Order: sequence, then C-alpha cells, then structure tokens
Amino acid sequence: MDPLIVTQAINVLYAVSTLAVLALGLAVIFGLLGVLNIAHGEFVMIGAYCAYLIQSWEWPYLVALPLALAICGVIGWAVEWIMIRPLYRRPFDTLVATWGLSLLLRKIAEGIFGLGFRSVAIPLPGTVDFLGTEYPIYRLVLIAISLALVAGLVIWYGSSRTGSRIRAMVSNPELAQAQGISVRQLAAGTFVAGTCLAGLGGVMIAPLAPVQPFMGLDYVLRAFFVLIVGGLGSVLGLFSGAAVIGGFDSVISAATTTTDGYFAVLVLAILFLWLRPRGIIAHS
Amino acid sequence: MAFDKHGTTRRALLATAATGAAFVAFPRMICPAAAANSEFKIGLFIALSGPASLFGPTQKACAELATEEINKNGGILGRQIKLIPTDAGGPPVESTKSAIRLMLEENVDMFVGSHDSATREALVATIKGKVPYIYTPTYEGGECAFNTYVIADTPEQQIHPSLTWMMKERGAKSVYLIGDDYVWPRKCNEHAHKYIAENGGKVVAEEYVPFGAPNKFEEIVTRIKSAKPEMVLITLVGADNVNFNRTFAGFGLDKEILRLSLLLEENTLLGIGSESSNNLYSSMSYYANAPGEANKKFKAAYFAKFGAKAPQLGLIGADCYGGIYCAQALATKAGGTDASKCMAASEGLSFATAAGTVTMHGRHVDKTEYLAICKGTEFDIIKTFENVKSGDECKA
Repeated sequence: MDPLIVTQAINVLYAVSTLAVLALGLAVIFGLLGVLNIAHGEFVMIGAYCAYLIQSWEWPYLVALPLALAICGVIGWAVEWIMIRPLYRRPFDTLVATWGLSLLLRKIAEGIFGLGFRSVAIPLPGTVDFLGTEYPIYRLVLIAISLALVAGLVIWYGSSRTGSRIRAMVSNPELAQAQGISVRQLAAGTFVAGTCLAGLGGVMIAPLAPVQPFMGLDYVLRAFFVLIVGGLGSVLGLFSGAAVIGGFDSVISAATTTTDGYFAVLVLAILFLWLRPRGIIAHS
Repeated sequence: MAFDKHGTTRRALLATAATGAAFVAFPRMICPAAAANSEFKIGLFIALSGPASLFGPTQKACAELATEEINKNGGILGRQIKLIPTDAGGPPVESTKSAIRLMLEENVDMFVGSHDSATREALVATIKGKVPYIYTPTYEGGECAFNTYVIADTPEQQIHPSLTWMMKERGAKSVYLIGDDYVWPRKCNEHAHKYIAENGGKVVAEEYVPFGAPNKFEEIVTRIKSAKPEMVLITLVGADNVNFNRTFAGFGLDKEILRLSLLLEENTLLGIGSESSNNLYSSMSYYANAPGEANKKFKAAYFAKFGAKAPQLGLIGADCYGGIYCAQALATKAGGTDASKCMAASEGLSFATAAGTVTMHGRHVDKTEYLAICKGTEFDIIKTFENVKSGDECKA
C-alpha cells in the first residue's frame, strides 16, 4: 500500500487515541459528577510541567508519572473539598468556579516558570519501520498506551466494586447513600481520578507539545467537543466522540488542509448540539 | 460613585455630568498649563496578554532601558520621557480602544508599537496620522500610511538575501511554504514566490493553518514527506512554530529537508529544543549573540539594569529599544511632533538601535541582516548581509 496513506492512517489512529486519553479526565468528572471542569486543560499543563521538571533534574522520564499523579491528585482533592463540594448540582456555578481556577493555575504556572516555551525531549526518539512506513516510535508507543488505558478503565468500571458503587451514585445518590455508600467520599475520589487522568495525559503529551502556561486551552476545547459528540456517562461514548472528532479532523486535514479539518470539527460540534444534544451514545 | 449604597441622586448625576462636560468642552483651559515643560508621553504598544505575551517583559525592559538612557541625557526637547506600556496582545479592536484613550486622555506625543500586523493595520486606521506612530518588529512590507514610521525588517531585507543564499549555497531549489493564516505569512509568501522564481526554483506547495487554533501537524508533515521538497519556508509563529518543528523532526524529516523560519527567535528556539533544531535556519536583523560593538554595549547596559534574571533577549523586545531612540531622534529633528515636520525630518534620520545606528529612507530603514543556523538551542550566525536596502521606501 502507498506509504503516504499508511502514515496518514496511523496519524488518524494517533489523533483519536491521544484525544480519548486527553478527554478522559473531563469525561469522568463531567459524565459522573455533572461538573464541567474548565480547568481540565490546566491539569494537563501541570502534568506537562512535571515531565519538564523531571527531565531537567535528569531523572528517568517515568518518574514524571507518580509526580504528576501526586500533584494533580492533591490539587484535585483540595479543589473538590473547598470549591466543588458546595456546588454539586449547580452546573453553571461549577463552570464559573472552575474557570476561575483555570486562570489561577495558569497564573501560578506563569509565576513559577514564566511565559517562555519549555521543551521536553522525547524519551523514545527516532522512527521505526512500521507497516512499510517510517513512523516516530514515541507516537506508536503513545497509541498503544492510550488504547490500553481506555480499555483498562472500561473493564475496571464495568467489573469492579468501586465501579458499581460509582454507577449507583450516579443513577441515584440518595438511594446509594441509604445503601451505606459514602457518596461524598466517592464523589471526591471520582473528581481526584479525573484530575489525575488529566495530569497523566499531560505527561504523555509533553514531549510532543510546546510546554507553556497557556497550553491547556488547546486541550480543553477539543476534549469538550469529544464529550458533545460522544455523549456523557459511558466510555464507549467517549471513544466514539474521540473517534468522530479526532478522526474527522485528521482525515480532512490529511485529505485537504488543516483549516478545513478545524472547520469540520466546529461544524460537527454545532450540528451535534443542535440535532443530537445527548451525543451518539446517549446516557439514559 | 454611581453604585454606592445610597443610590445616585439626580443632583449628583447632574453635577458629575456638568463637570464631565466642562472637561470635554474646555480642554484648552486645562491642557496648556500642564503641557508646558511636562513629560514627553510615549504610548508603547506591546504584548502584555495573550499568546505573544511571552515577549512582553523583554519589550518593556528594552523600552525602559532606552527611556532611562535618554532621560539621563536630558530627555526629548528638554522633556523627560514617560512610557505608557499598553496591551496590544489581544484582538486588534482592543488596541484601537486603548489608542483612542491614550490620544484623548493622556495626550500622548508619540506611539511606538511592537505587535502583529493585524493590530498595526487597525492602529493605523485609528490613529489616522494624528500622532507619529513607529512600528518596530519584522513585517510584510508596504506600510506607507501618513505619519507612520517603520523600523521593522521588510521582506526585501529579511527574506530576499537569506532565501537566495539558501537556494544558491545549499542548493535547495524546491520549496514548500507553510504559515499561519493571516496577513504577515500570506504577504511574505507572495514575496517568496517572486524570489524563488528569480533563483530558478519552484514552489512545491503553499499551505496555511488557522491562526490561534489548537493546530497539530502530523498530517502536514506527512504531506511534506511525500512531496519531498528540498526546503520548507516557515511563517508559523509562536506555539505553532514550536509544534511544527518538533513534529517535523519527530518524523525524521530534519535529516533530509532544510528549514528556514522567518519568525524564529531565542524564545521559540528554546521551545523547539535541541533535538528538533537540526538543519533549521533563521533570518533576522537581531540575535542576542549578534556581533558588533553596538550590541555589546546594549547588552552590557541591559544586564547592568535588569541583572542576571533579565527577560530573554531577542529581536522582539530589542526592537523596542530602537523604537524609543527613533522617537527621540524624530521629535528632536522635527522640533516637536507636528506631523508634516516629522514626515520631513524622517528622511535621512539616523538613530541608535540594539544592533547599531541605522538611517531612515522613505520611512523605512536600511539595516544589516543575519542568517543563522540553529546549533542546539543557540543561533550560529553563518552569513551577514551588510546594510540591506528596505526595498519599501514610501514616496510621500
């Protein structure tokens, strides 16, 4: 097969799988708790700066993962406790509150690191011959990790006790509470999981992006589109959203221009909001 | 006042309105007394917010350095300069509002601007030549508005010699053009088409990405790979420039295809990083490590004033230093800020910049240009083009 088409096909797969991971944290928090975390992109940014720090200290790259999980976890926990808990079931208020949080986190990053670009060296540099075409190794690894992460989460959510408790909390919080499930703790845990997933996405994407305080804005928008198209509350929805948004963008960008790709994504998001506001996989 | 807890009385409102009307109707009563021997106010348009705000600290610092030096030597026409740094990092319409405020409320004597071309066009249309306006970074050429002075690099200076050199000395005859979708890249590429044809080369493809959108470049890089050009001419800016170059090198294209970027300065190169800067060239009239006595003196003064933690020096920022000196030279030679006198004085006007003294012809300046190759995250200047004509001299 034509190596150009093969490469573009892998590009589509790469776009879809990384988008799914970057939207995962937002999907967990929005889908399960009904909180639209506008600061999602800033947690991605924090993850990326963790990767930068680890690399500038010359530690192994994988150490960035626990560091990002710890920092995003602690911030997420504090934010849930102070800011989000009093605002559950008030979607607009949480939106404004997390918007403020995003400004604050961005300014803190600016205060610590300045506005300049930081570059994170790719931990697995170089290209490899894959299906008859040269493709960057790190991007291939990223595709594999992303797919594994999403699949792992689907299985865990569907089969574990915590997963079924969360499902109980989502469908009927009062009844879940009456059953002896600590809804408050469970909600806090879910929020922290969402921010940690964002941080994880940041560590993964850091070597491929300009690391700077504003970088989160790029990701929150696309992640939000994924949720609009995919619908809330199911991992299948998340993945189909990522497939439609990332896939459409990537295919059209490859076939014509990036401008057309971006335009298509915007039109698609508007059409979905208009004609199918609950997304492809509507949550009952 | 209008929102205090007692509410606004009709009388208070009337009184306020009357006072306001008095100020508007009789500005002459207040201004002349204040204007005599007062400060020389310069409205400085720089990026204090938005994606370009990473240049803001350098722009402000360089303008402050020039101001301090001039004020120590008696200021402009005996008046001390007062800088009014104003944000031009947002949408152009916000900058035009600030320009109106600066003209009406602050009575600024001059404007100096270091920002993108979309904002420049909006500012020119707003200021309408009422106050002299000096534009400083690199640009696409062709600005001949009344009472507007350009010390920026023009395509004839920045693109023509460097592109010709790359095509002749590096043998890169087929060129792929990629840029952000706004006025500067599109106009630059119009010029590039001309220069490429002149050197017997050809444009393989020309492509733009939406400006300010979260762009990714895997698809474009794949397309470049299959188009097999010998060189890519890049007019992407900021994060897009970083992103593109990292993706380009990530796909291994840096080994075979040369890249010449037209807005690649120290900050952007730090973002691109050393493992992605192989075979990457940049062309500009200033680099922090550019040779020459003037830059040495400028840097010594800069680091003496701001210390080791001074903002990263680069063309965007250092241009403001020259901008303030241009304002001083212009007002001094014209004996004030009268538009027609300034227009006349600008011809043959000489003034200091970070890179050395330059002379203005046709409200543009002739200047020395450099072509640098990236060595890690440093620029290595491999070719100097002395005193290149702007090619953009305005007739009237």
